[in-house]
Amino acid sequence: MISRKLIVENSLGIHVRPAGNIVNITGPAASSVELVYAGQKVNAKSILNLMMLVIVPGSEVEFIINGVDEQKVADELTELFKNKFYEDAS
Amino acid sequence: MHPKQEPKMRKVFAGKAASPGYVIAKTKRILRQRFSISPIKISEDDTAIQIESFRRGILQVKKEISSLRDLTIRMAGKDEARIFDSHLMILQDPSLIDDVISLIKNDLWNAGYAFHICMQTLIENFEKSDGIFKERAQDLKDIYNRVFFHLNSDESSLVVQDKVKEGVVLTGFSIGPNMLMHFEKGKVLGLAIDSGSATSHVSILARSMQIPAVMGLTNLSESLDADELLILDGTNGIVITNPDKEDIEKYKKQIEVFQNQKLELFTMRDLEPITMDGKYIRLNANIERFEGASEIISFGATGVGLYRSEFLYFGRDSLPTRSEQAEAYRNVTYQLDPLPVTIRTLDAGGDKMLSSISMETEANPFMGWRSIRFCLDRQDIFREQLKALIEVGDRGNLRIMFPMISGVLEIENAKEIYNDCCEELKAEGFVIPKIEIGAMIEIPGAVMIIEEIAKRVDFLSIGTNDLIQFTLAVDRSNAKISSMYEPHHPAVLRSIKMIVDAAHKAGIPVSVCGEMASDPLSTLVLMGLGVDEFSMVPWCIMECKKLIRSVNYDEVRAISAEVLKFPNSDSINKFLREKYSQKIKNLGISSFITSRNF
Repeated sequence: MISRKLIVENSLGIHVRPAGNIVNITGPAASSVELVYAGQKVNAKSILNLMMLVIVPGSEVEFIINGVDEQKVADELTELFKNKFYEDAS
Repeated sequence: MHPKQEPKMRKVFAGKAASPGYVIAKTKRILRQRFSISPIKISEDDTAIQIESFRRGILQVKKEISSLRDLTIRMAGKDEARIFDSHLMILQDPSLIDDVISLIKNDLWNAGYAFHICMQTLIENFEKSDGIFKERAQDLKDIYNRVFFHLNSDESSLVVQDKVKEGVVLTGFSIGPNMLMHFEKGKVLGLAIDSGSATSHVSILARSMQIPAVMGLTNLSESLDADELLILDGTNGIVITNPDKEDIEKYKKQIEVFQNQKLELFTMRDLEPITMDGKYIRLNANIERFEGASEIISFGATGVGLYRSEFLYFGRDSLPTRSEQAEAYRNVTYQLDPLPVTIRTLDAGGDKMLSSISMETEANPFMGWRSIRFCLDRQDIFREQLKALIEVGDRGNLRIMFPMISGVLEIENAKEIYNDCCEELKAEGFVIPKIEIGAMIEIPGAVMIIEEIAKRVDFLSIGTNDLIQFTLAVDRSNAKISSMYEPHHPAVLRSIKMIVDAAHKAGIPVSVCGEMASDPLSTLVLMGLGVDEFSMVPWCIMECKKLIRSVNYDEVRAISAEVLKFPNSDSINKFLREKYSQKIKNLGISSFITSRNF
């Protein structure tokens, strides 16, 4: 099991597109992926769950990843957050 | 003040004749109720079908959004199309789907209501939040509307408001084949449906159940009151609402004529399908389940020309085992021994999905991973079926047919697997019978190399529905172009001639299975082109027999030879009507000849 804490650094927070980007990684993964934010824990393979949390810019979120490809998933998520979901640059 | 009650007027609705016969009866409207937003408690038995319909609705919407996305990528670019990716993701969201299924399964809500409350909760939550999140509610509303639109236009998703006590004519926007099976035998006297055509699956079913039907009536159902009396004329494709006395008198007589002709036709049962000058034409039946086998005998068929084995695989979560299959096949071949029984190997994929195997949604399912292509890839499934077939081949007269053959390699590969299975069964101690192997020809490319294919099989069978569709590039389910679906298009008739010639050169017989076989004019043309056997819905066999017994083979040959010279369907149909109309009229089977193709 891997726990990975990441900061939401884009200007709009986790709205539909970033949530989609996350699910693109978590959805096909063999591992289970959960996200903890503001005391709530949700299935991070569900775009709706992610959107419902209304995660605002500057927040810290924690991913709990458990399974054979957990390292790969953790790395990809880190990369995604580091790049601000590839949206602020464009 | 009372609203003025206008007396209802007699009105004639013209639709498409889909199944012959006449009915005077009250109507029962089928409502699109299964996906109503209003809460309906369902029984535990219905949960599976509700969940299945919900999944199918989602699948269709996914298809629609995917094509929208592809279009947007082409027209505007990848970034603009990203919103559709999110929509697709929401549609397959595991937590949404789980919630809906749990509401159906555990709380026994209808699928529509279950989806409705899940989406409403989400939409409300988003609307409560601020800024950019609030806008997301609109995306969800869009998805919500799309799903409901699809669930409501899905023909299998209909239910009848209440139980039917007496015989009725069912009306409604559309009706699925499953729906019809829900009723007790004898309760449905006729079908008057707003959508669909003579080639819809439900029309085929109506004909085999001998229920008169008119399809494509556009807005009939909306103009009807509950329990309204109407006249249904399935032979001519007409519905009369508020019929006057004369109508009722006239149709009572028609019903009498129909009954007499029906009795007359049954005298055909024990006669041979042989022309006046002695040419024997095999008239086989199409069946889907072994229950159909006894029907074959009662309608006087010469065998089974098409047993659709895929029905063994439908409606279940696991694959049928070899012994289950063997039993099903044995039920037909033993019962009909020594009549030939042609079993088509699994023809799944395309629009016929198996719930036991997950298949991807395809852009062009009819040209996709289906039929023999699927079987050659999934040899585990194919081998089980072949072994079951070989196992039962020791008794009875079994023939095996591979569907959708496009070239020699497929035939060779399929036969190699077949031989392999024979070897394995021999090792298990079975006696290996000699079973004839045939190819179904429904792809124009296969017609171009038909001589090569004919050399490698024991018989050919032409699937006209697909062959016409592929030759003319016409999707017959698309109403805008369905008039272009011309069975007598010269390209189709010349293709059939090529197939017949190649088969006869190789010394093997040719059969035609498909809707075309059950149309009297088409039957005569095809016979004239040299087709040796026909396979059709059991009910049509007797009228076809009567037809065959009334003609001279030499004349029919000469007329078809003439037909091949014409440049288009119109001139061909005109010529055929000149030659055959009177003859067909004189047969005294007028009540049975619907105006379906002409």
